[in-house]
Amino acid sequence: MTGAAPGGGPPARSRGVIALLEENCTACMLCARECPDWCIYIESHKEPVPGHEYGGATDPAHAPAGRGRQRVRNVLDRFAIDFSLCMYCGICVEACPYDALFWSPEFSYAETDITALTHEQGRLREWMWTVPPPPPYDEGAPPPREVRGHIP
Amino acid sequence: MTPEEIIATVTGGLPPAVRCEADYHGVMLRVPAGHWLAALMFARERLDCDFFDWLTAVDEAGEGFSVVAHVYSLTGRHHVLVGTLLPRSAPRLPTATGIYQGAAWHERETHEMFGVGFDGHPHPAPLLLSAGFEGHPLRKDFVLAARAAKEWPGAKEPGERDVPQARRRLPPPGVPEGWRPS
Amino acid sequence: MAAVDLPLPGAGARPGAGPGVIAVDVGGAYSLRVFDAGLACCGVEVAAALRRSTALAVAGEGRGRTAPLNVFVVAGTVTDKLAPFVLRAFQDTPQPRRVLSFGACANSGGPYWDSYCVTKGVDQFIPVDVYVPGCPPRPEALLEGLALVLGSPGEPR
Repeated sequence: MTGAAPGGGPPARSRGVIALLEENCTACMLCARECPDWCIYIESHKEPVPGHEYGGATDPAHAPAGRGRQRVRNVLDRFAIDFSLCMYCGICVEACPYDALFWSPEFSYAETDITALTHEQGRLREWMWTVPPPPPYDEGAPPPREVRGHIP
Repeated sequence: MTPEEIIATVTGGLPPAVRCEADYHGVMLRVPAGHWLAALMFARERLDCDFFDWLTAVDEAGEGFSVVAHVYSLTGRHHVLVGTLLPRSAPRLPTATGIYQGAAWHERETHEMFGVGFDGHPHPAPLLLSAGFEGHPLRKDFVLAARAAKEWPGAKEPGERDVPQARRRLPPPGVPEGWRPS
Repeated sequence: MAAVDLPLPGAGARPGAGPGVIAVDVGGAYSLRVFDAGLACCGVEVAAALRRSTALAVAGEGRGRTAPLNVFVVAGTVTDKLAPFVLRAFQDTPQPRRVLSFGACANSGGPYWDSYCVTKGVDQFIPVDVYVPGCPPRPEALLEGLALVLGSPGEPR
C-alpha cells in the first residue's frame, strides 16, 4: 500500500512476523508479562554457571566476602508465540531489555491447522534470517552509545 | 453562544441545584437526578441544543453511576454535557426519548451495560449483547472470565522450573485477587 | 486523492442477500468465488486484495475445476450477537465451498480474546480450512491464503 517498494513487496520495517534471537534471551519474562494477548509462552530453568562456583573465585578461601555463592543463569526451554492471537502491537519487541525480539516483514505463513500458527523456538529463529538491517541513523543524529569507541 | 452566555442562561433558568462548569470542551451541567428531564428540555429549548450525540454511564466506584448526555447546538455550535449521579443501589432515571428520540438506543445500551433503568422507555430490549447474557459488563466489578480461565503465561518466574514455589505468584492483570467464576 | 473503486455485489445479487460475491478469474485453470463477510477492519484489507484479483499469482498446481470454488472469507471480529448470522451466511454458501479465516479476530478472537461478547475464533461454529494470521494481514496474505485454499480438501463428506 503506502511506501511499498516499486514492483511490490512490503516495506522493510513493516510488521509481518516476530523473530527471536535465542542467544540474547535471558528468560526475564518481561515480554510474556507485557503481552496484552497472553500469546507468548516461555518455560525456563536455572543452571549453574561453570567457573563461578564461589562468586567468581576458584576456591572458597578466596571467595569475596558475602558473595561466595554459585552463580546461576536462566536457560530457555520453550519460547513460543501464538500468531493466531498475536495482534502485532510490538509491545514485546519494545519491552525486551536484551534485544532478543525483532520485526520481520514476512507475511506468508497461513496454515490449515490453527495449532501450527504457534511458532516454537526453531521457527522463530528461522524468521531471524529475514529480519532486515536497522534503518540508517538520521543525518546529525548523535552516534549510537552501544557501539564501542563512541562512548565519550 | 459562548460559555459565559450559556452559564448565564442556565443560572437564570434552572434551579440553583444545577451546577454549571465550563472548560475548553464546553459547558457541563451537573444536575440532581430529579431535574434530569428538566435540564435536557432546557438544553433543547433554551440553549438551542437540537442535536443529540450520545448518552452513557460511568461507574463511579464508590459514589454510584453517573449518567452523562452530550448534546450539541448546530446553530450556536456549542457543546453541552448534562450529567447526573445515581445511587448504586437504585440506578433509575426517566427516559429522555420524549425530548430526544435519538436517546432510545443509547438508553438501551446503557441499561444492558450498566444496569441503569430508564422508566418509560418504549422498547427496553438488549441492543448489543446476545440473548441470555447475564450481568452488566461495563460495571467495574464485572470480571472478564477469560482472564481468570486462561493461565497467564507471565505468572511463571524466570527459571521457573527450579524456583521454589514459596514465592507469591503475580496475579494475572485484570483479575481481582482470589476471584473465581461462579 | 483518487476515488477508490470498491467491488460491489454483482448483478443478480438480491438486496440483503448477504456478503458481496466477487468472482476471481485465475487464468482459466481454476476460478474462485469469494464471499467476504467483512465484519471489521480486516474487511478493508480483503477489499484491497480483491481489487487486485487480476494480478493474483497463485503458486501450486491448477486443478482444472469446472465449477468455481466458493470461498467464504470471514474477515473481522465475530461477536456473539452476530455469530448466528455468520453461520447462516456460511450455510447459504453453495458447494463446493471452503472457509478462510482472515485475521487474528476470526482465527481466535485476537486482541479481543478476553471480551465478554466476542466469539473466540470463527472455528467455534464453522469448519475452517485456512487460517491467515495478521492484524490485519496484508492484502497479499489473503492471496497467499487463497492459494492454500485451492489445495485444501474441504469438509469431510
